[in-house]
Amino acid sequence: MATSAVARDVVFALRQKIAKIEGTLPELLVLPSDSTAPSGILVRRNGLASSRDFLLPTGVERLDETLGGGLPKAALTEIHGTQTRNAGAAAGLALCLVSLMIKAKPGALVLWIGTAEIFREAGLPYAGGLEWLFGLAPERLLIAEAPKPTDALWIAEEAARIDELTAVIVELRGNPRGLDLTATRRLHRRAQEAGRPVLLLRQSAEPEPTAAPVRLIASPAPASLRRTLAGPLAGSIGPPAVTVEIGKSRAALAGKFILEWNPNAHTLAERRDESVPENRVAVVSPSRGRADPAAAAGTVLAFRPTSEPAPGDQPSREQHPAHRRPRRAG
Amino acid sequence: MISHRENNTQRIAALDEQAEARRLRPGMGIAEARAMHPDIDIVEADPEADRRLLESLADWCDRYTPLVAIEGESGLFLDITGCAHLFGGEKALLADLMARFFHQGFDVRAGLASTPGAAWAAARFAAGQIIAPGGERNFFARLPLSALRLDPKTKTSLESVGLRTVGAIMDGPRAPLVRRFGATLIERLDQGLGRLEEAVSPRLPVAPLSVERHFADPLSLIEDVERLVGLLAATLKVDLERREEGARRLELLLFRVDGMVSRITVGASRPIREPALIRKLFHERLTALGETIDAGCGFDLVRLSALSTAGFDARQGDLAGEVEDDGEGLAIFADRVTARLGEVAVLEPVPAESHLPERAATVVSYAQEENRKAFAKAGKARRGTVSQSGRLERPIRLFRLPEPIDVPLTEVPDGPPPHFRWRRAVHRVTRAEGPERIAPEWWREGNEAPTRDYYRVEDADGRRYWLYRQGLYGAQAAAPRWFLHGVFA
Repeated sequence: MATSAVARDVVFALRQKIAKIEGTLPELLVLPSDSTAPSGILVRRNGLASSRDFLLPTGVERLDETLGGGLPKAALTEIHGTQTRNAGAAAGLALCLVSLMIKAKPGALVLWIGTAEIFREAGLPYAGGLEWLFGLAPERLLIAEAPKPTDALWIAEEAARIDELTAVIVELRGNPRGLDLTATRRLHRRAQEAGRPVLLLRQSAEPEPTAAPVRLIASPAPASLRRTLAGPLAGSIGPPAVTVEIGKSRAALAGKFILEWNPNAHTLAERRDESVPENRVAVVSPSRGRADPAAAAGTVLAFRPTSEPAPGDQPSREQHPAHRRPRRAG
Repeated sequence: MISHRENNTQRIAALDEQAEARRLRPGMGIAEARAMHPDIDIVEADPEADRRLLESLADWCDRYTPLVAIEGESGLFLDITGCAHLFGGEKALLADLMARFFHQGFDVRAGLASTPGAAWAAARFAAGQIIAPGGERNFFARLPLSALRLDPKTKTSLESVGLRTVGAIMDGPRAPLVRRFGATLIERLDQGLGRLEEAVSPRLPVAPLSVERHFADPLSLIEDVERLVGLLAATLKVDLERREEGARRLELLLFRVDGMVSRITVGASRPIREPALIRKLFHERLTALGETIDAGCGFDLVRLSALSTAGFDARQGDLAGEVEDDGEGLAIFADRVTARLGEVAVLEPVPAESHLPERAATVVSYAQEENRKAFAKAGKARRGTVSQSGRLERPIRLFRLPEPIDVPLTEVPDGPPPHFRWRRAVHRVTRAEGPERIAPEWWREGNEAPTRDYYRVEDADGRRYWLYRQGLYGAQAAAPRWFLHGVFA
């Protein structure tokens, strides 16, 4: 206990120092008392965006608590997809967040920037599906296709200060050379100045140091069953679901959530009950004390020894570990 | 010396003065020429390159007049009507043109006349001569028949009856000539003499407005060019304001001292006339071009022209000096991205009335305002259908081309596959919904096109895909093919 208190003190001092360098003051955010997290979490707030709508609550209680109140609105947020074929899940999470942001604004425009490579590999955003799921009408979406990642970053920087755009999604694949700490810092600053979010959607990328305060790692999750009046419909595919892991956040709390999108109410919710049938392989191995389990098919054969066994039950020469061999003098 | 292949033998196509002095002639066999002079240097003819050179020369001649036409394989027509005074008269213009060509290393013959036919003849038979209006008759009288741009057959048959000069047929009876040698002969004659109007069709459309600046001391810095664009645009703005128009497409022509001409075009999604904006667009384009624009020894003429213009509705600012802004920032942003990365960089999804998923929501370039307007017009009508199709479960990402997948078997002919291979990875299907049958549009693809049965499937890891089977099992000899068309969230 004492060590953790000392450690917390050191972390606090360091955060004060960083805040001084950045010129913003740390602010104490008190979490609800019933949470398991430590009672005080430090969140640095920019003097510019300290108004009430500084954070975007996701609507998922546990996720909001872990993030320290919600996603920062005027910031760069990284969303990682683990593989290119998981592009649907990562894009879905980004669109959920965008949909939450534009829900209040009727004429909001969204710009989706991607490289030609990712649009070829993972598909172009499809207006029909976006309207159905996220309420994003075709006339409210703009797509920018850049030949190279550096071009995509340039468009993103320019777009971040356009007042008409409510949110900007930048989608890149892998770890391009242009996307370093400097580039993400520039994007983050632009987002902070404009007070609008920039979502950096990265497919099949390795986490690396960036200036984004929050990094979410999205991976696919099996959907729940469709709910009907007569109960869940067997064998059906229900609303979209995604597994979200917090890779990085200012609150520095880890967490893994399965989120489910409600396409009618346009809200996120956490799914705790496992209504999806698990795979049928037994998780626990059969107990030993009972009667003999069924014999395995076939017979068990021993491998032939590779060399003559050493006398006296000693391991053979080859099996002698190198460091145990008699050391040669001289 | 340049050779070309004709009837399976290498023959001389063109040669320089030195070779001419050694009694070599065009049309002579290469073997023969080599036997006479073993030390000659022979280059294979490249008509494509010749054409490119001629086109670049035509580009360069744009500095004299916007009406430049390519004539045949080695000629250029310049319509200098109303342009001569800018260069100090016809004579000065011709002298300037000849001098500049000479310094570029070209051997040029030029003629100037009031009809294209006479100018053509003057360039070939009286180099450097200026035929005054009305003087064509005297000029043509002593020229051979080839000055009339006749085909060789007509020329030979005329010469065979003893008519060797233009003067001989000029005053002859016209009806028998037409009857015997065709209408082209008289037509050419009349065109040469100015009795018949002949139009020179310029190779490029003429810009409605253009401003240019000549430099005695060439510009060699791209930054200077950018600054100059701002100045030229300020001049252009006055003209545009007078016409109550704004520019939709702008072109910047950079004439390099050594004759190289660069054309840089930018488009605007709505009419613009602000110099700062125009400069910004060209800045993006020049940055994107980067190294490909080589200033070399510098540019001595820079021209900015508005290729297409459109009505510009001026908006009045309010008292605070702030103009009502309806998406203007966005339009400028889109223009800048388009200027740097090309027409298809900014796309906009447009719903269309179709039940084929790839046609129902296509993407069009944001720059094409006409497209958007057409769709917006149909917008009222389609609003209902979209909300209808908005209820259909559609993927959030669609592949531009459906990707073929490998389906080894299905449990029932109409069922989803239990597993499939996509991009070399096997995906095991745990749940599936469907099929949703989408028939092809018979008015486009005919009756025979196979139908598609779409399935929503989820694999063991929870990824959701949109698959379809093209055709039916048992309907045709080959097994139907399977495709992956999109992914769900």
